[in-house]
Amino acid sequence: MGNVDLSSILTIALFASALRMATPIIFATMGGIFSSHTGIFNVGLEGFMLIGSFFAVYGSVQTGSPYGGLLFAIVACLIASLVFAFLHLELKANPIIVGLAMNIVAIGMTNYFLTALLDVYGVYKTDLIVGFSEVEIPLIHQIPILGELISGHFPLVYISFVSVYIVYLVLYKTPFGFHLRAVGEKIDAAESIGVNTKKMKYYGILVSGFLCAFGGTFLSLSYLTLFSEEMTAGRGWLALAAINFGRMRPVPSLMACLIFGFADALAVRLQQFGLPSQIVLMLPYLMTLIVLFISAVVAERRKKAKKNRNDEDLEIAATLPS
Amino acid sequence: MSEATLKTKNGNGWQEKLINTLTQLINYILILIIALILGAVVMVLSGRDPISAYLALWEGAFGNPYRFLDTLDRSAIMILAGIAGSIAFRTNIINLGLEGQLYIGAFAAAWVGFTFTNLPSFVHIPLCLIAGILGGALWTLPVLYLKMRWKIPELVPTLMLNYIAIRLTDYLIAFPFRDPTAPMAGSPLIAPSARLPKLIQGSTINIGFIIAIVLIFVAYWFIFKTKVGYEMRMVGLNQEFAAASGLPVKRSIILAMTLSGAVIGLGGAIMITGFFGRFLGGFSSGYGWDGFMIAIIAQNHPFAVLPAAVFYGALANGALTMQSITGVPQAVVAMVKGSLVMFVTVKVFVENIRKGLKKWAM
Repeated sequence: MGNVDLSSILTIALFASALRMATPIIFATMGGIFSSHTGIFNVGLEGFMLIGSFFAVYGSVQTGSPYGGLLFAIVACLIASLVFAFLHLELKANPIIVGLAMNIVAIGMTNYFLTALLDVYGVYKTDLIVGFSEVEIPLIHQIPILGELISGHFPLVYISFVSVYIVYLVLYKTPFGFHLRAVGEKIDAAESIGVNTKKMKYYGILVSGFLCAFGGTFLSLSYLTLFSEEMTAGRGWLALAAINFGRMRPVPSLMACLIFGFADALAVRLQQFGLPSQIVLMLPYLMTLIVLFISAVVAERRKKAKKNRNDEDLEIAATLPS
Repeated sequence: MSEATLKTKNGNGWQEKLINTLTQLINYILILIIALILGAVVMVLSGRDPISAYLALWEGAFGNPYRFLDTLDRSAIMILAGIAGSIAFRTNIINLGLEGQLYIGAFAAAWVGFTFTNLPSFVHIPLCLIAGILGGALWTLPVLYLKMRWKIPELVPTLMLNYIAIRLTDYLIAFPFRDPTAPMAGSPLIAPSARLPKLIQGSTINIGFIIAIVLIFVAYWFIFKTKVGYEMRMVGLNQEFAAASGLPVKRSIILAMTLSGAVIGLGGAIMITGFFGRFLGGFSSGYGWDGFMIAIIAQNHPFAVLPAAVFYGALANGALTMQSITGVPQAVVAMVKGSLVMFVTVKVFVENIRKGLKKWAM
């Protein structure tokens, strides 16, 4: 490593690929935020995304178009999230356990269909899979550094960033979003003003499935055009960590997604410098632990600072003549 | 009136119990049928014959005495994984890191197994098992630090450590402890003195199964008959209440997590010393997750872990036969397992079955 200088690692291309790596995590995070605000911590994101990845590939082969693939993924993910919602909201099953079981079923189902429908084990890769192609943004792609950074990505990369803004608008700027958040924060109050809380929870879960479909589709139809077993590799869990980091707010959670995306991109880059892949591939997961750690430290500091300020106020109050 | 209610309550004590037992039994049969039907639907959708597939599965799991013994052998790791999950859940800890703890425990045991070559078996085997226990327990410490010191819920960190453990052990067998003669990426073979003795020739079943059975009773005694176990259960039921009553909440959580890791680590050690004979990359086909599911199905009761674990062992072994005879991909079994768990926590079934039984009994 001694002769590798830092500037050859930290290139514009690295940051551009960080954006790309962050994309599926951003979709899952925004989906998870939606259901978190209705009070459901959706641990099934990983499974939804995996289902999305598989059906995107299947749909792409069937229809000959990546948008057909996306459509298949959306339908499959909506069905899966409907099952989740039905089990939890109608049959009163524990959402954490249903979510975890959902992940296991998703792995089993995609592996099963991989062999039963596509007749392969492990990886499905053929020329029949039509992926998305990169988009050059007019004008911007000619700007030296900025162009390299933000132009020439796959359409879903841009859509993921737009989705952050849309989720923010819907949650914080519409009556619907206000009602939805009320369900998670004060369910009794929400009920008392006539919000159909069950319906809101359905929306929360279905939107998270819907957005995971985009994340899954990105994984299998953009940079890579293939499906492999468990190809989501824990990205649904990174999303949960991002939601935790951002305390369910879209923009701060996006920051965590970008950090994870960067760790992912760095891991790929470092492999090219001859570091053992097994070690560098730990990076995104280690980074998750670090991010959780930092957010906990910051939260505690903030709490302490607030307490100190209150104490100071009391001291000042004590010195004042009564 | 209150006297009368009291009387009928006392008088119907055994009836209540019977209804509860029957309710549970019917509920489990019902969800098993649902899960099998879901599996069958998927098979039909992809043009396979579910009946012949399930028959082949049964044949593979219980078809002859040796297969039955192999199924029991496979159940050993399932039992330990199920107990590991149960101990944590009892204290309301969601240990999703069983898989990673299994890998670390297994590697630690393998290391002791191939590093020391001049030990007698009665020393070498216990050393390997202890290494597995320590490996599994130590791998929970980062999570405990984050949870106890920084109040970070264990859910995501335990899961992250799975990925880290799998990649770490992959690294260890790819570089420092690589054995070029291994058929796949793996460590050197462990010394013969570290191998667990087989119980019966012709089957893979070994002492590990006996250890697992003994551990069921130990876990039962520990959870239900000791003071520490009682405290852990109370913390699991209601942490605030336990803290207010002066129970050692912190100690209980730390103990639950490390014991959970220790038990699955022991499971890893048994897999290496009893079955594989060396550490193999990716040797676990999701036993940690099986443990999680078994604990849920058994409602965290050690005695109920046994049938659930044998059932999961049967699914695992039967699936191989099913795939080779009927060509139905064994992944369908993961779907059946997962759907089973999805329905176990459904409260509506239990409520309705109980209502129905009561009506029928009146």
